[in-house]
Amino acid sequence: MASVSVRIAGANGDGIESSGALLIEAAAKNGLHVFGYRGYQSIVGGGHVWYQVRIGDSDLHSHGRGIDILVALNQDAILHQKNSLNNNSIVIYDPSKVNVDALDTSKSRAVKLPMLDIAMEVSGNPIIRNVVAIGAVLKFIGMDIGEFDEIIKTRFGKKGDKVVDGNIQAAARGYNYEGVETACKLSGDGKHRYVLDGNVALSYGAYAAGCKFYAAYPMTPASGIMTWFASNESKGVFFKQAEDEISAINMTIGASVAGVRAMCGTSGGGFSLMVEALGLSGMLEAPIVVVNSQRTGPSTGFPTKTEQADLLFAMHASQGEFPRIVVAPSSVKESFRIGAEALNLAERYQVPVIILMDQYLSECVDSVEQFDLDKVSIDRGKIVKASNGTGKFKRYELTGDGISPRAFPGTKGLEHIAPSDEHNEYGELMSDMLAGLDESIEMRKKMHEKRMKKIDTMLKNETVFVPKVINEGAEYFFVTFGSTTGSAIEATEILKGKGRSFGVVSFEYIMPLDKERTLKLLEGKKLIDVEANYTRQLAQVIKQSTGIEIKDSILRYDGEAFTGDEIAERALLLTN
Amino acid sequence: MANNINYTSGAKPVWCPGCGDYGVFAGLNSALTQLGIDKEKVLIVSGIGCSSAMPHVFSTYGIHSLHGRLIPVATGAKLANDDLTVIGVGGDGDGYGIGVGHLIHAARRNVDMTYIVIDNQIYGLTTGQASPTSLLGAKTKSTPLGSIETPENPVGVALAAGASYVARGFAGDPVHLAGLIKEGILHKGFAIIDVLSNCVTFNNLNTGDWYKQRVYKIEEGYDPTDMSKAVEKALEAERSNWSKIPIGLFYKKERPTYSEQDITLKKGPLVNQPDPTKQQVLEALDDLR
Repeated sequence: MASVSVRIAGANGDGIESSGALLIEAAAKNGLHVFGYRGYQSIVGGGHVWYQVRIGDSDLHSHGRGIDILVALNQDAILHQKNSLNNNSIVIYDPSKVNVDALDTSKSRAVKLPMLDIAMEVSGNPIIRNVVAIGAVLKFIGMDIGEFDEIIKTRFGKKGDKVVDGNIQAAARGYNYEGVETACKLSGDGKHRYVLDGNVALSYGAYAAGCKFYAAYPMTPASGIMTWFASNESKGVFFKQAEDEISAINMTIGASVAGVRAMCGTSGGGFSLMVEALGLSGMLEAPIVVVNSQRTGPSTGFPTKTEQADLLFAMHASQGEFPRIVVAPSSVKESFRIGAEALNLAERYQVPVIILMDQYLSECVDSVEQFDLDKVSIDRGKIVKASNGTGKFKRYELTGDGISPRAFPGTKGLEHIAPSDEHNEYGELMSDMLAGLDESIEMRKKMHEKRMKKIDTMLKNETVFVPKVINEGAEYFFVTFGSTTGSAIEATEILKGKGRSFGVVSFEYIMPLDKERTLKLLEGKKLIDVEANYTRQLAQVIKQSTGIEIKDSILRYDGEAFTGDEIAERALLLTN
Repeated sequence: MANNINYTSGAKPVWCPGCGDYGVFAGLNSALTQLGIDKEKVLIVSGIGCSSAMPHVFSTYGIHSLHGRLIPVATGAKLANDDLTVIGVGGDGDGYGIGVGHLIHAARRNVDMTYIVIDNQIYGLTTGQASPTSLLGAKTKSTPLGSIETPENPVGVALAAGASYVARGFAGDPVHLAGLIKEGILHKGFAIIDVLSNCVTFNNLNTGDWYKQRVYKIEEGYDPTDMSKAVEKALEAERSNWSKIPIGLFYKKERPTYSEQDITLKKGPLVNQPDPTKQQVLEALDDLR
């Protein structure tokens, strides 16, 4: 496998994101695999930002460690990025803006490219300098410039011929500039791939599964889901921006009771506000999906950085006991599948489903060849559409599997109350006049058992509540969840190259967990815990569920995502 | 239009004898009966508090939600199914205290629902603490030396936030109240009805008699489309040092509802809209190529 990591770095407002997107599009159209990750801060203008675009000839699972080609748009780019440069790296810089004296010339080769002068010459627009740089990058990685012209035409066509010509010339001048020559040749397979981040994949999955209602309050890094729903109302979905996350989740519950598939999303801070209503969903048995895209905490933390420290919080949030499902997609592709499947699970079991994303997964861009649409089905669970005329409707009927029939407002003869107070089978209150009397003590016990029984039912009926084992038979296994799975897989590939045998145990569906099957999968394996938090939250869950204590850990809680190289290096230290 | 639908459930109300909540029960039941709306199309949403037992005395659909959160729950339900008649019933602690943020936005949003706030100036279910509308000097369990916070003016808040139907009723006059609720339900948009109500157990200051001596019906000829007059009216109780409390319709303005303006909801109730076909999903995914 060959890959190149290109990092475009400069100031906020330099057009870094659109440059990264252009490069990604160029590579993907060539049939190459791409993986993009933005480094940015919680400010609107200024700051030092970058976009890392990794381009490879086979599946990529992370943005890769270090930089092979750096496009330095300002002096800060040299200052902040020089330590991340790999051996044999290339630094493209504009001599009128940037001085490269600080570079370690034994590691990096600096290539002069008067981006600004060329931009002004061909278009009179300084921002075009990025396109000059992209042209040069395309040459370095051995790509054809012809296809890039087509991308420019599509992208800027609306702005008129002058803009298109300026961009085409800018790219060509960069491509053909003296000293810019092909350093490696990546060959694409000609396949067209979808290019998207985890938030967008999740949104598409939910849409495909008939999610009609999404409510949210803006919060990084979950806002991408909001943007998707807000800009796709023409597809028959509805988005409501709420005044706060409390409102967002309560609206979602209202929509669910009224009969539509409903989802809300936020990050940890907003999820904290949603906690009370999470229990309301549990008590009303109103199916909802709640997305928590984790970022570095506690409190405001690093709004634009990643972490996986809300796992135990998601599993235990809200007072009392009620069944819930917690699932952490392991990749952009899986985010699509889980975005769809979470809605089925929520409605089948009438429970809240929490999808734990993280900033890295939410915002990293991956190329995906195809989504398995044939596997997207819509199962709305036990819904009664008409009264059979036999008296009052038992919305909370005590059933063998714990799942009671649902009826939506508007259905004649099935009128009932969905109450947050403890209730009987009809949804009638037991909390006021009956609490503590014999009949309510008995019913409370039965009703609570009915709800909790749904956990057994889901474990019995579903096969998903066990971790996935990748590379069964390996000597060691990385135990991980969420986006860290990708980097762990990459680490196994790197270690294989060094003659070491590693596999991955990835927990996607974490709650409930099929304890026996999980124990069987883990027993006898040499395990190394890899997660982006301090307290080894997944390892705690595993110990509590299976009794297995994982001794070795590779942890990270500095806000940055794991890369395969890093996990591999640390694994070698642990196992040598 | 009278009809023979029985909207009540027969459940024994939990309220103390003489509670203003009975007046609201009677007023809402009368309004529904006069309108003759199909029972299965009515959704009554409450929060938490004595007032919030209201869905249980009715035989329509209902959601008994969380303290302060009936507005977002009701909003979500209405946005999901525009065919429903959605009525929120809560109290002053619920709607003007913990949930007041939602009130402002519901008013701006103009979702077509009716919100009845049973305003007895006390937290009754928690046995008598000061509420957001408790008067200055009110001695309660949480203000034993008298409240030193200026009471909220809910009618003023609703007007300032852009509510398109703002009324105040009195639980001691359920016939008058029924008219306000009925008009609120018929109004296309967010209708709020603040209902002055007595708590026989925990509010010895604002009793039924206290209200009776002070409330008066807004005079004939008052123009409810005039915002300036409505603001004047909203300030009258405070300015008269609570000697004259107007009840009736303060303000009404026809403006498009949320659902009438949203491109998806315009097409009809969300709950009836079809799921995407595989082909539609594939076409949607083409945005990404």
